[in-house]
Amino acid sequence: MIEVIKGGLETSIQDYPGRIGFWDQGFPQSGPMDSWSFRLANLLVDNSVGAAGLECQLMGPTLKFNDARTIAITGANMTPMINQQPIAMWRSIKVVAGDILTLKFALDGARSYIAISGGVDSEPWLGSQSTFHKASVGGITGSAIKDGDQLPLGTANEFISQQVNPELVPPLTTNKQWEIEVVAGPNDDWIDKVGHQRFLESEWRLSSKSDRTGFRLDGPDWTFTDKAHNKAPEHGSEPSNIIDHGYPLGAINLAGQTPIILVSDGPSMGGFINPYTVISAAFWKLGQSRPGDRYRFKQVTVEHAQELRRELDNKCQNTSLIGEK
Amino acid sequence: MIYPQAKFSPGGDRYILIEFGNEMNLELNFLGQGLGKAVKISGLKGVIETAPAFASTLVHYDPDVIRYQDLVLELKRLIKGLGSIDDIELPSRLIYIPCCYLDRWTAECIDDYREKICDKTPDAKMVAQLNGLSGTDELVRVHSGTEYWVASLGFWPGLPFMMPLDPRSRLTAPKYNPPRTWTPKGAVGMGGASTAIYPVATPGGYQIFGRTPVPIWDTKQSFPEFEQSICLFRPGDRVKFVPIDEKEFVDIEQRVADGSYVYNVVDYQKFSVSQYQKWVNSLDINKRF
Repeated sequence: MIEVIKGGLETSIQDYPGRIGFWDQGFPQSGPMDSWSFRLANLLVDNSVGAAGLECQLMGPTLKFNDARTIAITGANMTPMINQQPIAMWRSIKVVAGDILTLKFALDGARSYIAISGGVDSEPWLGSQSTFHKASVGGITGSAIKDGDQLPLGTANEFISQQVNPELVPPLTTNKQWEIEVVAGPNDDWIDKVGHQRFLESEWRLSSKSDRTGFRLDGPDWTFTDKAHNKAPEHGSEPSNIIDHGYPLGAINLAGQTPIILVSDGPSMGGFINPYTVISAAFWKLGQSRPGDRYRFKQVTVEHAQELRRELDNKCQNTSLIGEK
Repeated sequence: MIYPQAKFSPGGDRYILIEFGNEMNLELNFLGQGLGKAVKISGLKGVIETAPAFASTLVHYDPDVIRYQDLVLELKRLIKGLGSIDDIELPSRLIYIPCCYLDRWTAECIDDYREKICDKTPDAKMVAQLNGLSGTDELVRVHSGTEYWVASLGFWPGLPFMMPLDPRSRLTAPKYNPPRTWTPKGAVGMGGASTAIYPVATPGGYQIFGRTPVPIWDTKQSFPEFEQSICLFRPGDRVKFVPIDEKEFVDIEQRVADGSYVYNVVDYQKFSVSQYQKWVNSLDINKRF
């Protein structure tokens, strides 16, 4: 078991890929925002890649272990320490009963992941342990973990000393700039040529009004094709309005003139157009960016996006780990 | 219109949007829901799940199992098999939802938005004006004067997207620009020609002008209506709003809190598409009541 001494800013239990099968009732997939770092953390402690662990946002928690475990910290660097002694990230670490793990403010990136051997053993909720805290779903109590919570753990695996091959660690940005790959569509034909050009050539700033449901972007205005202006009234009269339809995860959802990237806990459906969709292999970059960071979007084809996804999946394998010989 | 051929568009590397038309009607919704069902029944390999909506279906697939082009072919085959909707007759529950129209809670939310985000005509007034109604009282009469068809669930767990079955109650409204950052739990509102109930306090884009005290989703499943699912509604249900005043709102809220509230769900009727269409064709849809 883990005793939560301090919950941190927003530390939540997540599993991968998350909550599947209830999308047609409006449930988002949830799960980790940076599944690359998340999966590597699980591999380091000999869990399956999807086992439930902790996602820490901007400021991490203080946790006390009550038995011997292997843990691993990946993602953003929150200066992890055990009993006030700094520990290495991206490698398996032994803790014993009574050890206290502290994570502080993120020095780079936005989200740190803590994997614990055996995984967090909370009751699955609609097939997943992932927390969708805005709807009070999943986790222990439906919310981010809080001071005093007790997190049950599964059966611990044997300690294996290993680390992530340094060449295969997700490359966090050092200059607050990110290049994000997108595929045009599903509603790209609602935007005119100049609008597309403007989207792909402009720099977009991640607004502070962003969370696990959506990332709001500040940037230039959008311009539309005739289709967006001359349409049946049931769409709604604004150019970005469309008859409510399903939203892909990662969709760049144009609400009025405000683009919002729909992320892990985002709405499943709604009445705004989605001119572009962020590809799954670029999701980790969203998960590691902070308000104020700048995005440039790069258009790729569906096939290329699927290739990048396979490449990323291949990096989330044991072959990315180096054992201690 | 209903497109002669369904339109397929990619959503990134793992979604595909199938659009059946660009308006709101029952036939399009049956196509959207029908494809979702057909995918489930056929066990189409590589499809993870679907989100059927008013006039479209979004499919989430695993590109390692099925390629985009192959999935398009498979979906086209399923769409061909959907058949005509005229023969459809299906059980449809009628659920009465008390609604406090022109309530102070949504009014407070709108005031907050106008003050902090963007000034706008208050929602009820705006919808009344845009639809040529004499005022907000007529808006209440027209909006509550029809049964609504639950076309799909989405946006948020349990949120029903609904269309009025009586064409004389058809209203349209623009969606917020920019959207609200919060909405009171239970708010009733509309965007485009769709009406929705917000299950919990969430961001939102619909014009809001009423509020229900009755939970439409319940993670604790404390009422018998939630035994099968934590969401009250399912596609194919019908909803009728019953106007209540603030005093009754507070009274029902209290009964919900102490567990004594009784949901009014009528469950013996069948919805016949041909009967419905016959009735719609007999109406003068330009008349309001």
